[in-house]
Amino acid sequence: MNLFLQQLVNGLSIGSIYALMAVGYSLVYSIMNFSNFAHGSVIMLGAYFGYYAMTLLGLPFLGGAVAAALGSAGVAIILERLAYKPLRDRRAPFLYFIITAMGASMFIDNSVIATIGPTPKMYPNVFGQGPISIGHIDIGRVDLAMFIISAVALVALILFIDHTKLGKAIQATAYNMKASALMGISPSFVIILVFGIGGGLAGIAGILYGMKYQVFPQIGAITLKSFIAAVFGGLGSLPGALLGALLLGILETFVSGYLSSQYRDLIAFTLLIAMLVIRPSGIMGKNAEDKA
Amino acid sequence: MSMLNVNDLHVSYGGIRALRGVTLEVMQGEIVTIIGANGAGKSTLLNAISGFLRPGQGEMHFKGEKIEMKPSRIVKAGICHVPEGRLIFANLTVEDNLKLGAYLRTDRKKIAQDLERVYGLFPRLRERMKQLSGTLSGGEQQMLAMGRALMTDGDLVLLDEPSLGLAPLLVKTVFDIILEFRDLGKTILLVEQNAYKALHIADRAYVLEQGKIVKSGAAKAIAEDPAVKEAYLGAKSTTAG
Repeated sequence: MNLFLQQLVNGLSIGSIYALMAVGYSLVYSIMNFSNFAHGSVIMLGAYFGYYAMTLLGLPFLGGAVAAALGSAGVAIILERLAYKPLRDRRAPFLYFIITAMGASMFIDNSVIATIGPTPKMYPNVFGQGPISIGHIDIGRVDLAMFIISAVALVALILFIDHTKLGKAIQATAYNMKASALMGISPSFVIILVFGIGGGLAGIAGILYGMKYQVFPQIGAITLKSFIAAVFGGLGSLPGALLGALLLGILETFVSGYLSSQYRDLIAFTLLIAMLVIRPSGIMGKNAEDKA
Repeated sequence: MSMLNVNDLHVSYGGIRALRGVTLEVMQGEIVTIIGANGAGKSTLLNAISGFLRPGQGEMHFKGEKIEMKPSRIVKAGICHVPEGRLIFANLTVEDNLKLGAYLRTDRKKIAQDLERVYGLFPRLRERMKQLSGTLSGGEQQMLAMGRALMTDGDLVLLDEPSLGLAPLLVKTVFDIILEFRDLGKTILLVEQNAYKALHIADRAYVLEQGKIVKSGAAKAIAEDPAVKEAYLGAKSTTAG
């Protein structure tokens, strides 16, 4: 029972990070119908922004998180303007977007390797030492911070999407871009908005993930997992991305806890393939077209 | 006062020359209808006016100002377009759909008044305001699309086949509502395949064939035109209307 609860807590913690990343995929997919495979690089840059804000500028953790969120949101918007907007203007097929995203991702990752270097960097320890014990369950301080901050950010996102005019405009544009333009909603503005929101959450995910492990140029590879989570839950669906991410996180920690951590990724990818075969639209997705 | 001026408009897309020099004018307070067969270019014309299709040639003026080719600016200027197929936001509630119609507006009081007015005009929408609009019937969706257009507070309303696919009783309702729009001070450019009904409520009419205006004049005169009768009103030229 203790192992079960312990793994559940660990799973929720890692799942909440997956969720922060997965909503970025889902938001962009819901508007533009392509998966922004450069999302991982935005997360990686967020980890560096947070790191330098806290070490060079000496900001406290919250300052670092804000710097990471703003920095990553800025990078995501610049990426959209420079890499994707020219394709949109030419009405390029969606495959071009994906290839461009992969290219942009390689460019960013290698730029970081070339300038900052490949050596991993450690965040200063701001949360104190030793796990927090509740009964027989130990919760790492960083894990707890991951869960709380992710939960706050995701609840804020859901409130924004469901209860504000801009959130409604995003939903309307996701449903039908032409109809939303007829209401005076500028598609370009909504696209900048979703890249900004997705990028901001990616920055927060980056600083948290960098704190849990280390900061290095390939840290963005973790988004492969959050992409699985987004597909599993239903690409383009925000609740789907959240559900998929939490389920994937819990599943992974249970596999690690009860079987072996060597099976963890095997199971995650098996899950992805099984989902794509059985129900390509995911748990909550609606259209089962290309999931690229 | 002239509300909309379209001058020698040419639009091509997908290799088809859909409009080949269309010139028309809509005066303030008028109901103007464009009748024509399927594929004559009626929807293309409306899509060009609301900025979704770029004209290859020609000019459009709204209230004397050149129309900018960006849909959101055009809405702001006061043109609202109820598209063919309604395009309501099925994933949002009836009320959210209506409020999105007022997306560009900031005059909260006036928005609340307009919302009341829409509910007054369409009591069915008030009953279903919290319902997802995808669950509405076809007729209710058309009313929602028209109500949403009212919420934009535009002066010129472009209506694309508002009666398409509706039961006869609802068709009558839709045309009654168009008249109410006029009473509210709206100017209307109506595209319809139901030429009989459209000519009945319109002040003036244009006949569009293969991307060109072939006839224009008072709606009554057009309705009496033998060629129009034969082609669009289902009457043989030998028998009276």
